[in-house]
Amino acid sequence: MPQSHGLRVLIATVQVPFVRGGAEILAEGLCRALVEAGHRAEIVAIPFKWYPPERILDQMLACRLLDLSETFEVPVDRLIGLKFPAYLIPHPRKVIWMIHQHRQAYDLWQHPLNDLDRYPNGDDVRGAIVRADTELIPQARGVFTISRNVALRMQRYCSLRGTPLYHPPQGAGLFYTCPAEDFLYFPSRINPLKRQDLVLEALSKTRSKIRVCFSGAADEPGFARTFATLAQQNGFEKRVEWLGAVSEEKKRDLYARSLGVLFPPIDEDYGYITLEAMLAQKPVITCTDSGGPLEFVVQRETGIVAEPTPEALAAAMDELWEDRDTAKRWGSAGRQRYADLHIDWGNVMEKLLQ
Amino acid sequence: MKILIATSSVPFIRGGAEILANNLRDAIAAAGHEAELVSIPFKHYPPERIADHMLACRLLDLTETCGVRIDRVIALKFPAYLIAHPNKVIWLLHQHRTAYELWDHPRAGDLIHGPDGPVIRDAIRQADRELIPEAKAIFTLSENVSGRLRRFSGIDSEPLYNPPAHAQLFYKGPTGDYLFFPSRITGVKRQWLAIRALAQCRERVRLRFAGEADSPMQQAECDNAVRELKLTDRVEWLGRVSEEQKRDLYANCLGVVFPPVDEDYGYVTLEALLSSKPVITCSDSGGSLEFVVDRQTGLVAQPTPESLAQAMDTLWTDRQRAAVMGEAGRARYEDLKISWENVVEKLLC
Repeated sequence: MPQSHGLRVLIATVQVPFVRGGAEILAEGLCRALVEAGHRAEIVAIPFKWYPPERILDQMLACRLLDLSETFEVPVDRLIGLKFPAYLIPHPRKVIWMIHQHRQAYDLWQHPLNDLDRYPNGDDVRGAIVRADTELIPQARGVFTISRNVALRMQRYCSLRGTPLYHPPQGAGLFYTCPAEDFLYFPSRINPLKRQDLVLEALSKTRSKIRVCFSGAADEPGFARTFATLAQQNGFEKRVEWLGAVSEEKKRDLYARSLGVLFPPIDEDYGYITLEAMLAQKPVITCTDSGGPLEFVVQRETGIVAEPTPEALAAAMDELWEDRDTAKRWGSAGRQRYADLHIDWGNVMEKLLQ
Repeated sequence: MKILIATSSVPFIRGGAEILANNLRDAIAAAGHEAELVSIPFKHYPPERIADHMLACRLLDLTETCGVRIDRVIALKFPAYLIAHPNKVIWLLHQHRTAYELWDHPRAGDLIHGPDGPVIRDAIRQADRELIPEAKAIFTLSENVSGRLRRFSGIDSEPLYNPPAHAQLFYKGPTGDYLFFPSRITGVKRQWLAIRALAQCRERVRLRFAGEADSPMQQAECDNAVRELKLTDRVEWLGRVSEEQKRDLYANCLGVVFPPVDEDYGYVTLEALLSSKPVITCSDSGGSLEFVVDRQTGLVAQPTPESLAQAMDTLWTDRQRAAVMGEAGRARYEDLKISWENVVEKLLC
């Protein structure tokens, strides 16, 4: 029997088979929060493959053809669209909570990591994506984004407004802090966009013999060897450690015992790592072009915002390493800032369902 | 191997197909492969929506993920089995039934009532005829589904049986004094027929139903019939029950009543066999007829209240015989060698 209370909510996102990342965690987190609040919620995931470029057009059309307005004549009260092209699915009561647009058509166009611009029809497909976003995103009743960074990109490229709506990282209540030990922690998927290589370069330029602990699964299979070789060439095998993928429990332990957290990605959409560092009361070193983290790290109050160069990053690392009292103070200020921002699922649901 | 299971589903509705897809995924993983579900949302009305969803499926690309090849797609349901893949195997749960054998069914037929119904029916039939044979191999859920595929689409296939979830947990309890009818409460399962039969029974047969109604209206129709026929003290609606409760209800019943319209397969029959209980089904019930041997492991009645009532009276009055038929059913289940290992081996070969 249909439940008499609560709303029937569908969360529309995309599925890249066999790949799990932040977007999946977010969708599941939102779904769980809705169910716990007494609603009926389900995730609808549309498979997505972005190459060759004409496939993107096919899948945009596929999304437009789907009908999620009701099931067996009972209305779906709200559709929450998260990712391109799933947020293009039509629905009379749709809100978008945008994780990101198709970045290769926007901020990553002509970026070395892009591939869309290398196809002869790349430019046409990019045009179609921009037109679809510009015309169809405003059909939603409300447009929210996971961060100010995502809202600013949408404003810059599509002249559309979105309201940033922050949400907590997974297991937010379980983070804790311990006295700082002698290492900086860099937890992240190993990927060129996260710039682990920049940190390795910075290490060869620090005054102190700083130690860095990395964790996270590598996107490419041969990474363990690459990492070892790189460390050896630079002569700091003893100063770096890569743990690979670690459990959530182990990750929280590493945060808690670290001196500070390194997170210098390129134009991150949001970045749970910044928030997790704040929850563990640790200062964060990030870069001026890191995107999302800049919404949370206050320069020289909760961490350091460095230029994205080995030299500037090295200086920031030395500063934390040499002044443990300041590091501790900034860490506590970060925790306070997290509390001030009211980042919780209750707030997210209220906005998405209003 | 990297294997995707492609299916379609109606949001907020969980039934046999969803359970089967999950069990298949687990069985493939247990065989040492990587398996994931891809589920395309489906809405079957108004009729033109069906064409939209068929096209949507043809537009999807499951050949690779992040540059890594998908070795096989196992497709289960319409329209998801239309998704193209060079290494696709279909394990057909059913075609879109109201375009086929249920087209003009008085209760189940829906396409027939829309002005575009015939056009959409023909489009579905054409797509099935032309695109199902793209698959490398075609298996079906049952002999019944294979028979329909041959009759309507001229396509040959091999039936491939699968065990119900937690098959090993079913057990036999004492022979009880109620008949058990576990099923989603909806027109094609024919709870209404069982209620009318009950009114015709000579004996004071008791019937317990378990399962959720598809809509409050379906439940209301049943409730009204029970009231009008003055059967309130002989009928019990248990609603949704846990898996454990369900197994207990099977274990302790006298027999199982399962008279659906042309069921594709029917876990209920298998669960009854596993619990060593005789099954009363109907001559037009489809899948259950592949398992129920009349007068040996149960009774096959005509789909009329009178005939069904007679079968119910027979079990009610001859408990000894009911128990013997139940034992024979369990033996029959063993003979059929129904296992996930076998299913996975066939689908991946």
